[in-house]
Amino acid sequence: MRNSIRFARFSTLLALSALPLVGCTDLTETPKSNITPGNFYRNEAEVLGGVASVYAMTRNDGTLWGYYNMSEISTDEMIVPTRGQDWFDNGRWLEIHRQTWQAASPAGLDDINRIWVDSYKGVARANVVLDALKNVTVSNQAGMEAELRTLRAFYYYLLLDTFGGVPLATDASVVPRARVTRDSLFRFIESELLAVRGTLPLTRPATEQGRIRRGVADAILANMYVNAGVFHKETGVSATTYNSCTGVTVAGGLNACQAAINFSDSILNSGAYSLAATWRSNFTATNRSSPENIFVAKNLAASGLGLNFPQRALHYSQFSPEPWNGFSTLAETYRAFDSADVRRQIFLKGPQVNQETGAPVCERPKTTCGAGSVPLVFTDTIGDATSAHENEGARIMKFSVDPGHVAENNGNDFTFFRLAEIYLIKAEALNEQTPGSATALGLVNTIRARVFTPPKPLVAINRAAILSERLFEFAGEAKRRQDLIRHGRYTTWTEASKNGKAPTTEVFRILLPIPQSQMDANPLLVQNPGY
Amino acid sequence: MRLIRYAVPAVILGLAWATPLAAQQSLGSISGKVTDGVTQQPLGAVTIRIEGTGRETSTRPDGGFVLSDVAAGSYRVRAARIGYAPFLQEVTVKDGAATEVQFTMQPQAAVIDPVVVVGYGTQRREAITGAVSTVDPSTANVGVITNANQLIQGRVAGVEMVTNNGEPGSGAQIRIRGSTSISANNEPLYVIDGVPVANDATSGSGFDVAGGSPPLARSALNLLNPADIGSITILKDASATAIYGSRGANGVILIETKKGSAGGASVEYDTYAATSTPARRYDVLTGPEYRAFVQSQVAIHNADSTRGLDSSAIATLGAANTDWARVTTRTATTQNHNLRFAGGSDVTRYLASLNYMNQDGVALANGMKRLQGRLSATHQALNSRLRLGLNVTTSQVNDQFLTYENNGGFAGGFFENVATFNPTQPVTVTDSLGTRYFETGSTSVRNPVALAEQITDRAATNRTLGNLSADFDILPNLTARINVGADKSTGLRQLYIPKSNPIGSAVGGLARQGEYTNVSRTLQTQLSYRRQVGAHSFDVIGAYEWTQIDRDSLIAESHNFLTDAFSFNNMGSGTVIVPPTSGGRMDRWISFLTRANYGYKERYFVTGVLRYDGRSSFAKGHQWTAFPGISASWRLSQENFLAKSPFSDLRLRVGYGVVGNPGAAAYSSLLTLDPSGDARYVFGTTPITGIAPNRNANPNLSFERTSQLDIGVDYGLMQNRISGSLEYYVKNTSDLLLTVNVPQPAPVVNRLENVGKIRNRGVELSLDALPISRPALTWRAGIVLSVERNKVVDLGPYTFITTGTVSGQGQSGQTSQRVIPGFPIGTFYGPVYAGVDSTGRQLFRCSSLGAGDTTTTGVQKCLNGVMRTARASDYKVIGNANPDFTLGFHSEVSWRKFDFTMLVRGSFGQDVFNNTALVYATKGNALQGKNFLRGALTDPIRVRDPAVYSSRWIEKASFLRLQNITVGYSFDIPSSVGAARTARVYVSGDNLLLLTGYSGLDPEVFNDTNIGGIITRGVDYLSYPRARTVTAGVRVAF
Repeated sequence: MRNSIRFARFSTLLALSALPLVGCTDLTETPKSNITPGNFYRNEAEVLGGVASVYAMTRNDGTLWGYYNMSEISTDEMIVPTRGQDWFDNGRWLEIHRQTWQAASPAGLDDINRIWVDSYKGVARANVVLDALKNVTVSNQAGMEAELRTLRAFYYYLLLDTFGGVPLATDASVVPRARVTRDSLFRFIESELLAVRGTLPLTRPATEQGRIRRGVADAILANMYVNAGVFHKETGVSATTYNSCTGVTVAGGLNACQAAINFSDSILNSGAYSLAATWRSNFTATNRSSPENIFVAKNLAASGLGLNFPQRALHYSQFSPEPWNGFSTLAETYRAFDSADVRRQIFLKGPQVNQETGAPVCERPKTTCGAGSVPLVFTDTIGDATSAHENEGARIMKFSVDPGHVAENNGNDFTFFRLAEIYLIKAEALNEQTPGSATALGLVNTIRARVFTPPKPLVAINRAAILSERLFEFAGEAKRRQDLIRHGRYTTWTEASKNGKAPTTEVFRILLPIPQSQMDANPLLVQNPGY
Repeated sequence: MRLIRYAVPAVILGLAWATPLAAQQSLGSISGKVTDGVTQQPLGAVTIRIEGTGRETSTRPDGGFVLSDVAAGSYRVRAARIGYAPFLQEVTVKDGAATEVQFTMQPQAAVIDPVVVVGYGTQRREAITGAVSTVDPSTANVGVITNANQLIQGRVAGVEMVTNNGEPGSGAQIRIRGSTSISANNEPLYVIDGVPVANDATSGSGFDVAGGSPPLARSALNLLNPADIGSITILKDASATAIYGSRGANGVILIETKKGSAGGASVEYDTYAATSTPARRYDVLTGPEYRAFVQSQVAIHNADSTRGLDSSAIATLGAANTDWARVTTRTATTQNHNLRFAGGSDVTRYLASLNYMNQDGVALANGMKRLQGRLSATHQALNSRLRLGLNVTTSQVNDQFLTYENNGGFAGGFFENVATFNPTQPVTVTDSLGTRYFETGSTSVRNPVALAEQITDRAATNRTLGNLSADFDILPNLTARINVGADKSTGLRQLYIPKSNPIGSAVGGLARQGEYTNVSRTLQTQLSYRRQVGAHSFDVIGAYEWTQIDRDSLIAESHNFLTDAFSFNNMGSGTVIVPPTSGGRMDRWISFLTRANYGYKERYFVTGVLRYDGRSSFAKGHQWTAFPGISASWRLSQENFLAKSPFSDLRLRVGYGVVGNPGAAAYSSLLTLDPSGDARYVFGTTPITGIAPNRNANPNLSFERTSQLDIGVDYGLMQNRISGSLEYYVKNTSDLLLTVNVPQPAPVVNRLENVGKIRNRGVELSLDALPISRPALTWRAGIVLSVERNKVVDLGPYTFITTGTVSGQGQSGQTSQRVIPGFPIGTFYGPVYAGVDSTGRQLFRCSSLGAGDTTTTGVQKCLNGVMRTARASDYKVIGNANPDFTLGFHSEVSWRKFDFTMLVRGSFGQDVFNNTALVYATKGNALQGKNFLRGALTDPIRVRDPAVYSSRWIEKASFLRLQNITVGYSFDIPSSVGAARTARVYVSGDNLLLLTGYSGLDPEVFNDTNIGGIITRGVDYLSYPRARTVTAGVRVAF
């Protein structure tokens, strides 16, 4: 009897414990520390969080690595020599400098891949927010959309510049897409910018400094138009002669050179920008307030938010935290600068000091100068790029160190487009329409006026003079590759220091190979010719 | 969980009530003789044990024994001796009478338990149809065993187990029949007392001091005391692991803890103390050698300024002679104490144990302490129709960590500085300011002694693992079971890097605390039916299982402290507060499973398994999959036609099954947004939190599937004096969970997809033999041999996937391995080294003339088949990290009261990439005033040539290791002494001998250099040295 009661009790317990069997087949996931687009992007502040993430790809870890490296190191502006145990790095730095990259070579899988991935990440982040905006209404919706579409156009512009025609997506779906022609991509960017520029504000308050204004759309357009001789062509870009914007017809039936002039004028006459009184102030830690800035990558001296250019260029002993002693310039490039030109001061050459303390510094292994140590003296020549000494090569320190830096984070903004370039774009386009144009000469001399004391204006103008002026003005600002290609000099520049860079006529180098890893990921991609 | 709360007091009450009953009985004795069943000779040194009482003795050389003062009653007396099958007999002791018994023992090569734990129940060994191996913890638990994993090493064919390094409590790589996955998890599933346990990190990760990644996590299973383990079963083939379905692809390790038994109370205490020294140290130049080298290079430079070291190198020379490899290591001690008591009545049994272990590392200032308690209780009610079981293990593991590196770049952690810190400089300097550690002034070159002593990095992990089960016989053959398990761990990691250290000085001191909380809950309900009808036997189970794992984490960090005195205890006093991070995740599994075993005439057996698994982290519509398995065995030795064969046992097994790999983290199929660091931006001067996708959606994400065919033969010869098995298997894994690039544009470059195929094939042989079986001397020995071949069959559209980051200065962007269709996982890929030219520059093979080869620049020129800077097009497959075969040999000898055991392991034919030598056996370090490994002194490469990854650094790493030797002696203590009943003392040596041609510290390596989660193998970078250990221990039973 007692047992049967216990048995009954236990059977009940067993039955109860088996209950979950019936109810529990629920496998729904509700992410806790992540969110999904379905429960986000509901108001302007949330959308702004998405917009910020699109801007973020312009910074150190985005455009300022892959695009910057390929735009600088593949040219005569920059070299990263192997220095003893440092900077061999799979041979990719010299591979970039010597232009021997391939789709599956170290640079192809690394720096070139970074351009593809980072630019497209910017595009995709913009598409995610733009898709979300289709289903909600937030304040300033049109402004946000215009801002996002301009940013997306900017990332496509980087891809157009480096790879030519690439897959074009305007929504966030992740699917294989075939490449469009370079011309179609050109037209797409153009039409997007033309469509939204009117919605973009001419000016913004200080709290919004760094966000897109109308000048950004106009600057990208002006730049694309002056490069139209390169950018709209599938084939036939010349590796040896100037690729002119004349003869290319763009939106509105305009000649590309004229369009470049028009959009330059739009900026110059907008009243929103003016040349900074001192040239140097465009690059200091407080350069955010320069009236010349059109589009910058914003930086701040805060953990994970700053510019790390001093790490790349400076010697180990010149800054704290310890820099990397890598990126240098070529002697020929350094020597091309006029010694009276203020702009030459961006180079570090000769006896060196700590950039923070001003104290003289010495070579490794002794980090503090003392008995037996060798003072650090940068030479402009590099004897053997595969085995360089640590003091070889002048350094480009255009973006000077920020006294308030937090670790390697400096607060200098990086200038993608500033007003000086608009002057020179207009001058170059005018010179194409009217070689030797006096207006063009005037524009170039305006730029030169603030960097020579006493003034040293040019007396005549031609393509070579404009290219030189762009070198002096924009060295270290990721313009050189684009400029050399337009001028038919990209594969043919030579250097005396015999660092393994020989002139080639490999016109296909003008476009970078699509990295093998990306070719694999998208079966619809067709490789650029020559790779 | 509520059940456990009530059950614990109930069981304890039960114990209190059961114990006094045993004390009031009158006494008798048991005496007898043991003989060998084959030779009929008397057997000495046989352990005679009254089960459940702790009473034991051993036989004299004439085979006789006496156990006096035994309370009247019925007992199960067990006789055990190495080389013989255990013998068990019921003995009834009468009041005041001497009971005589005769035991006859049969020789047997292997330790074979008649009943095997197989998951969701047990099976008779004869009925097993799948590939299942067991380990006897009593023979494997020798030397310093701190983790249950180590019991398996070298003892099971097809199981490869490599501890990450010599760090105390180090994690391990366990591969059962090779790696079946490229990026998903390759770890086996651990099931403790029937409850699957998560082998996830239990405390915050380490701090990265070397610009690479922090040291690998220690083993999450350190909570288990190896002495508590009663049995280990390893399920290897899919027909056996299919019962674990989606979690079975990497094999299953079933651990049953020890349980109490009926009879009076017993108490056992065992302890050991061990001393360890590094088996090998980094071989760096001494102070005088380094000084002479620098001076000679300066002389070379003075003659030819393009070579050697310039005169400033002289200034780096100090007056000291410090052997950094020696001053950073030590003779470390380990001590371990186990106290166990057990007892109970026929209905209630218990076993409780307490363990304290304290192990110091052979490198400075690190170690592990464990305090662990365990309670196991069983209770029978309703005439044994109801059986309750409870197991609770609770532990606190205190880890003290060293700031070393897993991989690294420019800045150095502990071992990098051991290899490179200038040997002419002292450990400490004393001047007017007092005594302090010598530092160079550089923030990236750091005195390794100071790194170890000044930085505090520790973790305290509390983990409780428990389960409560109830079995109820509804009918004589039908049993219902419910098992509720819970596992909760809380680990707090605390770090402080003081301002006095170069790492801390860069940020004004750094404090960090990270807490992880993992909670896993499991519910199993099960029905089993077991019936024998004539020659037919049936064994059927059906079960439901529900598991949920919740993980929460919180990490806080702040910098820039006024004083080091607060350490990590007052993080608010730092002026730079790093934004805290926190996270929460949930995973859920739900399963329905059934297994049916049918046997006919004890000759033919068939087992069918079906498990239907649901997993929350896969995509909707792909969350549920069925995993089937079927296997059969035929005991040929039972057939008449084999009656006269030499086989005492012969069995043929064939099995096929499909299992899955659940290696997808929570939310893997969803597009999720996250405020990630690379989404932050600044407007004006205000940082804006950016929200960006951190994962692409994959609406098709599903299980990785492994199908496996296994054919095996189990054999026994000469009355099983030789026995073992031979197996062949083929595993095909498809729908690999692989993180691959997706077509751009995509908000994240890659995502987890089901892509590609891998094939693993292998042969496993185990052989146990009993060569000598004489009264005073027994020798048993066994060998396990595994041959495994692995091949990537298909990689979808991907030509190759690169992985294996190369560590060290000047190596960024360099990778060492590729996953390539047609080649195994662990394939090294790079340039082929061809020697040096006359000036000491490295040359590499070139296979064809490329663009630029005809120019006169000299550098790019491909001349006579060699070039100075290898091109991507000249890269080749240069090595294979997989061994041709692995070998384990164990031997147990029993001679009178002595016992000798030995374990030897070997692995043959594998390649290891010696990343340590690539970057530290290079003279170029001297350019920076740094030391290097001695190997560089004699190589012809000039000082200014960079360290280039090539075939030169891929080394053969075959080895044979004497893993353990133990010598023990057992005492009988006459009962008149009135203290302990038996005692055993032993000495043991671990890792005493290593035969290898590998030039690094140790050929057994693991370094996690994965890129995007793609696994790597065989990379050696600055390993924590393995120890050579001598242990002395004693076990006493009361």
